[in-house]
Amino acid sequence: MAEYKRSNLIADAPSGYCPGCLHSLATRLVSDVICELGQEDNSINVISVGCSALNLLYWKGDFLGVAHGRAPASATGIKRTNPERLVFTYQGDGDLAAIGLAEIVSAANRGENFTVIFANNQTYGMTGGQLAPTTLIGQKTTTTVYGRDPAVAGYPMRMCELLNTLEAPQYIARFALNSPKGINQARAGIKKAFEYQLAGKGFTFIELLTNCPTNWKMSPLDTLEYMNENTIPYFKPGVYRDKEAEVK
Amino acid sequence: MKKSFVFSGSGGQGIMSAGITLANTAIEMGLHATYLPEYGPEQRGGSAKCTVVVDDGAVVSPLPKQCDTLICMNELAYAKFIGDLKPGGMLVANANRIANPYERSDIKVIAVPVDDVALALGDPRTANIILLGILAGATGVISRMFLAEALKRKFGKKLAVLEMNIKALDKGIELAEDK
Amino acid sequence: MGEKRFMKGNEAIAEAAVRAGCRFFAGYPITPQNEIPEYLSWRLPEVGGVFVQGESEISSVNMVYGAAAMGTRAMTSSSGPGISLKAEGISYLAAAMLPAVIVNISRGGPGLGSIQPAQSDYLQATKALGHGGFHAMVFAPYSAQEAVDVLYEAWDYAERDRNPVFVLMDGCLGNIMEEVELPPMKELDEPPEWSLSRRNGRDWQGNITPIYTEPILEGLNAMAGEMYKSWEDDVKVEEYMLDDAEYVIVAYGIAARVSKEAVDTLRARGVKIGLLRPITLFPFPKSNLRNLDYSRVKGIIDIEMTLPAQMREDIELQVMERCPVYEYGRSGGVLLDDDGVLEAIEGFIEGGENNG
Repeated sequence: MAEYKRSNLIADAPSGYCPGCLHSLATRLVSDVICELGQEDNSINVISVGCSALNLLYWKGDFLGVAHGRAPASATGIKRTNPERLVFTYQGDGDLAAIGLAEIVSAANRGENFTVIFANNQTYGMTGGQLAPTTLIGQKTTTTVYGRDPAVAGYPMRMCELLNTLEAPQYIARFALNSPKGINQARAGIKKAFEYQLAGKGFTFIELLTNCPTNWKMSPLDTLEYMNENTIPYFKPGVYRDKEAEVK
Repeated sequence: MKKSFVFSGSGGQGIMSAGITLANTAIEMGLHATYLPEYGPEQRGGSAKCTVVVDDGAVVSPLPKQCDTLICMNELAYAKFIGDLKPGGMLVANANRIANPYERSDIKVIAVPVDDVALALGDPRTANIILLGILAGATGVISRMFLAEALKRKFGKKLAVLEMNIKALDKGIELAEDK
Repeated sequence: MGEKRFMKGNEAIAEAAVRAGCRFFAGYPITPQNEIPEYLSWRLPEVGGVFVQGESEISSVNMVYGAAAMGTRAMTSSSGPGISLKAEGISYLAAAMLPAVIVNISRGGPGLGSIQPAQSDYLQATKALGHGGFHAMVFAPYSAQEAVDVLYEAWDYAERDRNPVFVLMDGCLGNIMEEVELPPMKELDEPPEWSLSRRNGRDWQGNITPIYTEPILEGLNAMAGEMYKSWEDDVKVEEYMLDDAEYVIVAYGIAARVSKEAVDTLRARGVKIGLLRPITLFPFPKSNLRNLDYSRVKGIIDIEMTLPAQMREDIELQVMERCPVYEYGRSGGVLLDDDGVLEAIEGFIEGGENNG
């Protein structure tokens, strides 16, 4: 049994995330895997805009804060000029699936050799809970006060499935962080993605289903149950692409 | 001795490449030159125009309103640019595609059926080299020797092509001297 | 001595960038600057550099942002409509204090405008390259050779200031072919200490951010203000036949070449006229213009390939109504030409003499 302690890459300070928010757990998983792989000094966290930006306050490894949605572009500039570094973006659903859709699809299509960590909580957390591309049908937000109506706001966008139509990506997987089992699977998936990158294989994408107790207006415990009943049935966890396994 | 040349025609007639060769040759001869292309939005078949300015010293303005020598490869170009030729200037007109290049009486006109001549030489693509030959023969700004050197650099490895282009060059000079 | 070549302006820019140490370029196709990315797509890999064709101008400038953060000399280029899209990234470069070079080979505007050359982006370049109230040094070379010289030094300024450098040219200068003398390849330094690179032996955490807490941001903005003032020492300007000039043309880039021709023509006729040519548009050569002898100067003539004139306000701030300021231009992709400029100047002089 591993000793439970603060990761070397996370500062001894409050994270800034709301109580019960799974963002901090997602960050923790990423930092643990980086340390396990001995990559603390070699990693670069490309920090996007949204609640993900709270990483700026407590990430202790090298990082670059970037523009909203543009993390895959900036990561391209980093990795292409410094291929020896372990580069990852950390992006939320508004950042990645709305304003940054061109950047994520194009970086994936070019097969850029970095890893994208995508935290999907189905809303814009930092700006106060507006409609996200991933907001579920009927889910209430501050800009869909009666719930998302597909007639005016379309349907929740499934990024793993969308990226899985491209040739280049090496590893695409979605995990739900609302159960110990999901958390363990996520940790293993992140490790696999980073190993792919370190071996120079190409683009890897990890979607982590998270919650937003504050903007969903639920207790943290209720969000976990809500995820089981609503989020997971729509955004099905699983490994969508694993190029190495396909070869075997 | 500032001299300006406007080459005009349609895309694919070798207009731009003739302009570049003229400017390049002038530089090889120790002069200074600018080449400025103007394209329409079309990739093929649209209007093509380029301006070459040759001078003893560094070229100051590459944007003369009126040119000393105007080369027109078709009717459209002739209609559009004939007004931009200086009085006393020289028009080199492709007689195959321009019905009446003699409308202005204050200019010198060299009208040559460039398409026919090129075809008779064996390749319509030599039309622009014939033009350069005419310019060498008629203006004296560039010399045959330096143009021949430029062609050698361009076609050096393809001897048959080089030979045809040298023939085209000499044919152009000959035509200019006949006029 | 350098190496002489007959080159297109755009290609001269690209080659000069490589020789200045540029090792990363990202860009998106737009006329009339396509020769820059096309050239660099094969040239950069030859020297161990990286070329990426971005999915948009926004993406391209943000790729440059990433490469610049690693201490790599990085560049992007575009034309007016694309520069508008890059505004976001240029502002972020300034905020994160990242050096990079942005080239605008401008065309007719506004909107999609025209693919033909125009000097339509002076105000954008000098006043607001993006949101937030920052500035970049803006260089406006007027020949392929001067573009080479500017690009060769551009990163030295950018790295000195940790701030982007902007190069403003137009489609004429991008597409003109003329003789240039190319400088030798620069030796590359180690990535700077502030960068996220670890190739320089750094063993502490590096971080670069475009967002700050309030007091820090205020302090940085105040420092930036001091930096902009210090650029007064970096003004580059050509003063041509100004010593006894009664009329002074102010023009940059392609307009300055046509204007210089007009000065030569008019001088040959005995007209006392000269040219003040800003090579840096920001910093603007304020004192050169302010300190002209206005007891002699009868008129300032602003010539730009855009309508209405955009540099006029900067000129008027220095002239302070001590003589009339005239403007002449063409726009929308219609080019200036020698005769048009000459006639306009003669008209201003004649009108001025009649009124005087």
